Amino acid sequence: MFRQLAARFGSPLAMAILGLLGIWLIVMVTLPQLQMIDYSLRPNLLPAQQGGPQDGWTLANYATLFANDIHRAIFFKTLWSSVLVTLLTLGVSYPLAWYLAKVATPRQAALCILLLIIPFWINEILRTYSWFIILAFRGPLNEVLMMLGLIDRPIRFLSGDGGVMVGMVYAYILFMVFPVYNAIESLDDNQVRAARDLGAGTVRTHRRIVIPHAKPGIATGCIMTFMLAAGSYAVPALLGSPGSRWFTQIIYNWFFEGGNWNQGAAYAFLLLVLCIGFMSLVMKVFKVGLGDIAK
Amino acid sequence: MTSRDPGPEVTMDGSVRLEEVVMRFGDFTAIDKTTLEIGSGEFFSFLGPSGCGKTTLLNMISGFLTPSEGQVLIGGEPMAGVPVNRRPTAMIFQNLALFPLMTVFENIEFGLEVRGVDRKARREASERLLALVALEGSGPKRIGELSGGQKQRVAIARALAVEPRVLLLDEPLSALDLKLRQHMRAELKAIQRKTGITFIYITHDQGEALTMSDRVAVMSAGRIQQVADPVTLYRSPATGFVAAFVGENNRLRTTLIQRQGERVRLDGGVLGELAGRVAASSRLEGGDRAALYIRPEHLRPVEEGAVGPILAATLEAVHFEGAWVVLEARLDASGEMLRVQLGHEISRQYTDALVAGRRMRFGYEPDDAVVLPEDGSPRVDEATGEVVEAGHV
Repeated sequence: MFRQLAARFGSPLAMAILGLLGIWLIVMVTLPQLQMIDYSLRPNLLPAQQGGPQDGWTLANYATLFANDIHRAIFFKTLWSSVLVTLLTLGVSYPLAWYLAKVATPRQAALCILLLIIPFWINEILRTYSWFIILAFRGPLNEVLMMLGLIDRPIRFLSGDGGVMVGMVYAYILFMVFPVYNAIESLDDNQVRAARDLGAGTVRTHRRIVIPHAKPGIATGCIMTFMLAAGSYAVPALLGSPGSRWFTQIIYNWFFEGGNWNQGAAYAFLLLVLCIGFMSLVMKVFKVGLGDIAK
Repeated sequence: MTSRDPGPEVTMDGSVRLEEVVMRFGDFTAIDKTTLEIGSGEFFSFLGPSGCGKTTLLNMISGFLTPSEGQVLIGGEPMAGVPVNRRPTAMIFQNLALFPLMTVFENIEFGLEVRGVDRKARREASERLLALVALEGSGPKRIGELSGGQKQRVAIARALAVEPRVLLLDEPLSALDLKLRQHMRAELKAIQRKTGITFIYITHDQGEALTMSDRVAVMSAGRIQQVADPVTLYRSPATGFVAAFVGENNRLRTTLIQRQGERVRLDGGVLGELAGRVAASSRLEGGDRAALYIRPEHLRPVEEGAVGPILAATLEAVHFEGAWVVLEARLDASGEMLRVQLGHEISRQYTDALVAGRRMRFGYEPDDAVVLPEDGSPRVDEATGEVVEAGHV
């Protein structure tokens, strides 16, 4: 790698590039992670006890999750809900991506993408708050539904997982739309025309031609959305109720309310393992490699 | 070549009728009012330069486009409101559009799968079609493993699998190299005869259109210029565009002196008196301005004092092309360029004379030279076949 870079930019610049890359990877990625692993494997001790006889590596912090019924339930609920968020986001994004890539004129597509992006110029917390207002018990959505006569009394959107789902689908839609859009865009129009010409209806054309072609994009979108959903803090904190706690909130509590960084670090690692596991599973199911996703 | 072979397997009416169809995209008229009947089992070609509207016509027949006016009938049934996937047509795309993620079998069987044919019957059908296109044993292969010619055959098999009454071919041979292209021409024609399906073929390559077709429609700027069998098209072009686009032609501006049936005497101005042939239906009369078209291969060197029209010219270039020699000569009287193509036999007699700077006299048989109304015909680029200057055709 050095030789290639040196040939292109000269030795001093190549060294600088590789040096910066090395510092980034070691100081900003690897070392903090290693420290957190170290934290997670030690008991939570008072400063005076650190380095004493009680200090040593143990898996006790990891065992806590499996001993605590509530935490374990929240862990799996987070997994399940994140899968659900991913599927919902895909359900909303796929038609949109199809429209942008193959149906809309270039002008319409540009306008539509602009409309999708503009809200993301606003901070995520503020966007989530706006959903809090929209979905509130006496909020505009309930008012409209009542005015239309669709419901008799307001619905508590925010009491279950509904609010969290809506908030997350909204927050992560771009991470799904763009990879899927890119994948569909690269499909030759004649493929779709040929399928139609051979008699295929809309559903079959998508199932047999478009979706197989867009698979790497769909896998990328699903992985990104799942990771963001599983690791989301702001959305469940703002739109969730006590009944819809997210695992990230438990981790947060260990760090900042329980003051037990060791326990928090162990939980954080379990979440990381979960995400990596999900990513590998999706890649296996979709038969895509890391190379396809990096595209 | 001109006989219409109905083929042994024709059971359904594969005729196509266009009734006063018009296609407009915004202000642009891609197809001007066109009426045309294509017979069942016919090999019919649309020939024209790119942008002439031939693909638009094909898309109206397949259903990808809905005509702005008029209607399309297939087998006598109006196709208005019948979507692409319900029409008795199948299309072979210019880029073939094979499904790259599927095997050859899966590609061919796709249309049958759509129709709910069971697995076993599907496989039997695809084996039979692979045999028809001489690709036995290639079924399990991936599309990427095939050569250009093999892909071509798979595309044909895939389209035939749905047993279309009409097969639409959108310049499917344009991506192949010359030898393979010539081979596939013969093969396509053979498959068409064997299956008896109506073939509608789109091309800008006159060689393809002339060798394969029962009839050819020559198109320009959204209009059909002439519909005829290949021999008629070549021998008796109906418009200046056809004369210039199909084959090569020397065009001379003249004024008609006298007409006797199909034979006419022409005043070529400085070129002197010329002669040619008009169609019986032609409305040209004495005094009309007329264009005389003489094909390069109809010109031959003549001795001094020969009877009939004579064109005196000075050779500017001599191109030896193997089977024939092409001469580029400048007419002494008018300065216009004349293209002459001499066969091997004749050119051998004149070997010493065929050098640049040499003055020669060329004669032709008036029956071989077509006379058409002077219509400001388009100029066609010889290299690309593209229309360089649009005429009022």
